[in-house]
Amino acid sequence: MTKGTPDYARYAERQSDMLGLGPDGKPDPNYDATAIGVTPTLTAYDPSKPPPQMKLTQEEQDILDGKKGKAHAKVMRTLVDHGNLFGATKLVDLGGAPHTSFFTGTPAMSPLIELFTECADEGLKAYAPYTVNPRPHDLYNVETSPDEQIMIFEGYPLQLEVDHLHVRLGGRNLDTRSCMCYLPEVGNAPKKGTFVAWAESSAINAGNSILGIRTNRNSCGMDLMCALAGKAPYFGLMTDEGRKAKWLIEVKTSGEPDWGVLGGAIGEKCVEDPPFIVGIDKYFDGKITPQNVHKLKAMGAATASNGAIGLYHVENLTPDALDKGRDLLVKDYQTYVIDDAEIERVRSTYPNLWPENVKKPNRAYIGCPHNTYQEMMNWGTGILDALKARGQEKIALPTHMFSATVVRDHVFMEHPVMMRDLKKAGVTFTNTCVVCFSGLKGYSDTEFGVTNSNKTRKYSNSIYLKDDDLLEVIMTGELPT
Amino acid sequence: MAKQTFQGRPVVAGDIDGNALVSKQPFNTTSSYIDNIWGGVTDSAPCTDQDNKELYQKDLNGVILCTPQTIGSSMGGGCLMAVAGLGVAPKAMLFSHHIDGVSAAGIVMANVWQEKPIITIDLLGDDFMNAVKNGDPVSIKEDGIVEVG
Repeated sequence: MTKGTPDYARYAERQSDMLGLGPDGKPDPNYDATAIGVTPTLTAYDPSKPPPQMKLTQEEQDILDGKKGKAHAKVMRTLVDHGNLFGATKLVDLGGAPHTSFFTGTPAMSPLIELFTECADEGLKAYAPYTVNPRPHDLYNVETSPDEQIMIFEGYPLQLEVDHLHVRLGGRNLDTRSCMCYLPEVGNAPKKGTFVAWAESSAINAGNSILGIRTNRNSCGMDLMCALAGKAPYFGLMTDEGRKAKWLIEVKTSGEPDWGVLGGAIGEKCVEDPPFIVGIDKYFDGKITPQNVHKLKAMGAATASNGAIGLYHVENLTPDALDKGRDLLVKDYQTYVIDDAEIERVRSTYPNLWPENVKKPNRAYIGCPHNTYQEMMNWGTGILDALKARGQEKIALPTHMFSATVVRDHVFMEHPVMMRDLKKAGVTFTNTCVVCFSGLKGYSDTEFGVTNSNKTRKYSNSIYLKDDDLLEVIMTGELPT
Repeated sequence: MAKQTFQGRPVVAGDIDGNALVSKQPFNTTSSYIDNIWGGVTDSAPCTDQDNKELYQKDLNGVILCTPQTIGSSMGGGCLMAVAGLGVAPKAMLFSHHIDGVSAAGIVMANVWQEKPIITIDLLGDDFMNAVKNGDPVSIKEDGIVEVG
């Protein structure tokens, strides 16, 4: 029956957000989330009062009618039909630049490759040069054994077609490939209030929350469709109403929280409804900076992967919260208190997915989502200081640092000696996506990772550790007792 | 059994009759089509989602799939397009809840780009899921009416 489905394909597709599993890991028949980032208000259909259809401008209608080409008309039809399902009232012009999660050349992407090739053949291009998620493998630095290379070639047979297509449609150079498109080195950080139509759960989450841009939680394909049109249906997280918070999260930990577990807790509780978080602004010295943004990155990515959150607010810190404060809360909001005990309770639910006979890790993953410059510096100096203190020349555990190439180059230009010493000590630098290969069954059979990313934990068999514990494991190769 | 009638919203409208295949738990699109996407299966659509005890290994080709909503990877939309392209998609999908963004993208794109519509109705309500059983005759009308029994 299977005609040769590789085992790693079965495994990989069970590792995603929106899995609909309960706390016990079993399917939850009451799971209810639409993946768009906001629970729709429409709960029943009355045929005597059909939902209004969005209004189009004359220019949009002309495109829909095919006056600017067949593929362009189908792009417009897709946006209109999709938007009407979610109550969109109109199309809005997009600004800034797109970011797409159409990045894996798996066979499942074949229909999307075909339709976007049709667009490219008609001469359609994105409204601005756009950023793309990391390539899903790195045959230079990470997957270097013959068996690993075969898994990659068989798992991603259409990768070059996807890369080729992005060049034709206006994608930026490969050195900017990253899930962290909003970092200064990558440069895709539209101004507050800009409408965009991004995909990639962590980028959407950060864009809406940290930058204050307005994007829905688009699925793969719809992101690029909007980019080609230069427009997106106006609904959900793009609207003032959709950006209101249904949860008040009171963080009452005794000190700076574990950002990954905090985000995981919020994601599991709120699923996809925006939370308003209080009690953590004191860890940011009054504002979000390149030196502290990684804390929000870690928390936000965990809310987006352990749940499906596309927007959060932090009191006194994030743009919407600075403007409107607690007026962002809906009247009948719910409250969730997170203290030290709750952090530890949530952490204790994270399973160890390694076989019983495996007691030691054989890789460390740092940078999911991709590292910022500051994180590269923190981990770089931390590892070298620890080696010096112990009189070690090399780390005990192969360690991969994930970042955009342009971020890695920034660190290299500023701190070449540190980078040289890290490389000599056994640290690998790569611009690939950790969850794209660590979740493959072929890897999970032989690779047992440790990580500081709750997103990587969620999508793979990796064990999540606090930063201090992870550094210790990198030095010793042994898990903490 | 007595015929029961439910009103839903036409996502992709159409008239069609058939028999129900029911997943009381949300349907994980990508996990269910692994053999079609990676395994080279083109003449049927065996459900590959081992977490779905109701549907695992059942042929999804041409069924009227009844489920609260779909879940899983954002590749799910592409998977629906892929099985539509192979001609082994469900002939209809009936959701008791609001359709989710991933399936909506795939169903809309299959309709617009491939001209291979998967007739789809959402917002049929919890009573629909409580009523419909595997094998029940189902009649779908253009206006979103679904008759079971």
